[in-house]
Amino acid sequence: MAYAYLFKYIIIGDTGVGKSCLLLQFTDKRFQPVHDLTIGVEFGARMITIDGKQIKLQIWDTAGQESFRSITRSYYRGAAGALLVYDITRRDTFNHLTTWLEDARQHSNSNMVIMLIGNKSDLESRREVKKEEGEAFAREHGLIFMETSAKTASNVEEAFINTAKEIYEKIQEGVFDINNEANGIKIGPQHPTTNSPLSSNQGGQHAGGGCC
Amino acid sequence: MSDSEAPHQSADGTEGPPKMEDPSPAQTPGSSSPSTPDHSADVAPTRKARRRPEAQPAAETEPPAGGEEEQQQPATTPSESTVSQGGWGYWGSWGKSILSTATATVTTVGQGLTQVIEKAETSLGIPSPTELSTKVEEEEKRQGEGSSEVEKAATDGPSPVGSAMGMLSSLTSVVQTTGKTVISGGLDALEFIGKKTMDVIAEGDPGFKKTKGLMHRNATLSQVLREAKEREELQTAEDGSSDAEKKVVAHYGMLFDEFQGLSHLEALEMLSRESEAKVKSVLTTLSGEELVRLREELDQIKDSFSMVEFDDEEVDDKKDEDGTEFEKELTSSVDGLSVSATADKLSKACRNARSTISHMSNPQEDGEADEKTHSAEDVHAAAIRSLAELTARSIELFHKLAEMILFSNHNMGAGVLAQLTVVLCKEISLLSKKFTSCLTAAGFKEKGDILNPLITGVFLEVCVHFLVYNKEFAISFNH
Repeated sequence: MAYAYLFKYIIIGDTGVGKSCLLLQFTDKRFQPVHDLTIGVEFGARMITIDGKQIKLQIWDTAGQESFRSITRSYYRGAAGALLVYDITRRDTFNHLTTWLEDARQHSNSNMVIMLIGNKSDLESRREVKKEEGEAFAREHGLIFMETSAKTASNVEEAFINTAKEIYEKIQEGVFDINNEANGIKIGPQHPTTNSPLSSNQGGQHAGGGCC
Repeated sequence: MSDSEAPHQSADGTEGPPKMEDPSPAQTPGSSSPSTPDHSADVAPTRKARRRPEAQPAAETEPPAGGEEEQQQPATTPSESTVSQGGWGYWGSWGKSILSTATATVTTVGQGLTQVIEKAETSLGIPSPTELSTKVEEEEKRQGEGSSEVEKAATDGPSPVGSAMGMLSSLTSVVQTTGKTVISGGLDALEFIGKKTMDVIAEGDPGFKKTKGLMHRNATLSQVLREAKEREELQTAEDGSSDAEKKVVAHYGMLFDEFQGLSHLEALEMLSRESEAKVKSVLTTLSGEELVRLREELDQIKDSFSMVEFDDEEVDDKKDEDGTEFEKELTSSVDGLSVSATADKLSKACRNARSTISHMSNPQEDGEADEKTHSAEDVHAAAIRSLAELTARSIELFHKLAEMILFSNHNMGAGVLAQLTVVLCKEISLLSKKFTSCLTAAGFKEKGDILNPLITGVFLEVCVHFLVYNKEFAISFNH
């Protein structure tokens, strides 16, 4: 139950690319071929281990429909990682990546780790976007890249975990200020000694609240 | 293979048209202060930290607490101004995207909003959003120092804060005052409901008064809940290491989070903060008759919430034994609002709670006579788990409603929200009562935990959020 860190993720990308399916596969290890359209945002959470540390991923799965865009943008803020998903069988979802990327960069913190995901890699026969194109896009924009299949679970774990690894490395490098929750990182409850200005403030509240 | 293709293809169909709007979200040069992307991320903590004093003093007079908290403010000033800068910049781009949406889906509502936005944007041109928001922050801070001063500030016109900004300041005061009255109107009614609901599990809880203080602190509900959850997690971890055999204790905060209540609440808060900022910026652009009219509308919203009356005594344990009445009311409250899936989840949680209760109160009827009667700890754990799920699902429902409202510009009146709140409070009160009976029957003697004030808070906070939304609706529909 206890964790060293909590990372907030967002999953973004066009409607129907498999965002909710990726989440379901990651949290529940199952695939649901027919999925309701996501309204606004839905949530998932899972514990992973990196470098011997328990890390809780809190995942915000956003609606892909254009009409929800103004709402879902509100949720970008305070995310440590983003999974930007397109469908390898639909060229248009790949073409929209630039827009998504601009949106994400504009509305979230600049250190956010972005993982580009080409989903539905099981549908090789209907592929419209070459793997090399995804790789090139990722290289050009400084993203990590993977092709996944929410259906076969191929690379799903890896996508979520590699993103977390990258965030974890950034924490080690001191890029992320872990005391600033706006970065989408929270320190787990087993670090009660951490004394940032924020937590000393909260310490006062604890005492006043008579919580023990 | 074909399994996975079906849904994707159907989704394809909805994807075509929006393509032409691609450039719109990115077209916000200048409006959103791109030079300070780092700071804009700061919004959450500081903004959150300041919501409480605005809401509380009017409802509950606790000047000492407020004063103490205010002393902390100066230290955080620099980040606050950058915070709002991000917030206001954001509003600009939001406006743009609404503009494009509005033109795409031509409705009268959308057009009304467009006009407001255009007006807002033109007016904002003179004082830059940054300056403006800094002023607003100062103004808010000043007002936070004493609720009695608020009324004065509103009527006195130009405030000492700045000469050029005098007009703006007084307008802001109006917003503040209006907001406060609206909130207090809602709070009175809801505080009552909450207290009634709360008394249930923590009877004779010596820590009750102290824990109740949590709700008057300078923090949002989600922060309070998260802190509670973290304490519980820590406690659980410690217990686990020291005494592995120790009984699993039910923790409301952890369970609430498990049911994603915390996430939904956080998301709702994020939406509310933006709506709030938008309403404020719209208000600053109005004057004269328009402003008067808008204030009247806001008052009406306040009234519709003040009229929320809920008498705990009227909740009859015998009535609605199986919960069908509740489900009917719930369904009719959210009818046509496209949140039926979420409402179903809530109904299911209520059904589960009811079956847990009946199982707990009539163990012998199960035909398992040899099974020992439920211990007080079991009942307490079940009660907290059920109530955590119920409240989490309720928050989820409110959150989905908020999204649908923003999404569809649904003209949902405050009356509907008030009605829904009553329906939910009634149900939770009823179930709490039943759990209490079970607890009493099981000889529950332990001290109550933090649960009670938190549940109260859940509803208070959610309703406050909704008042903010309603302010926004009123503005977008009528101006």
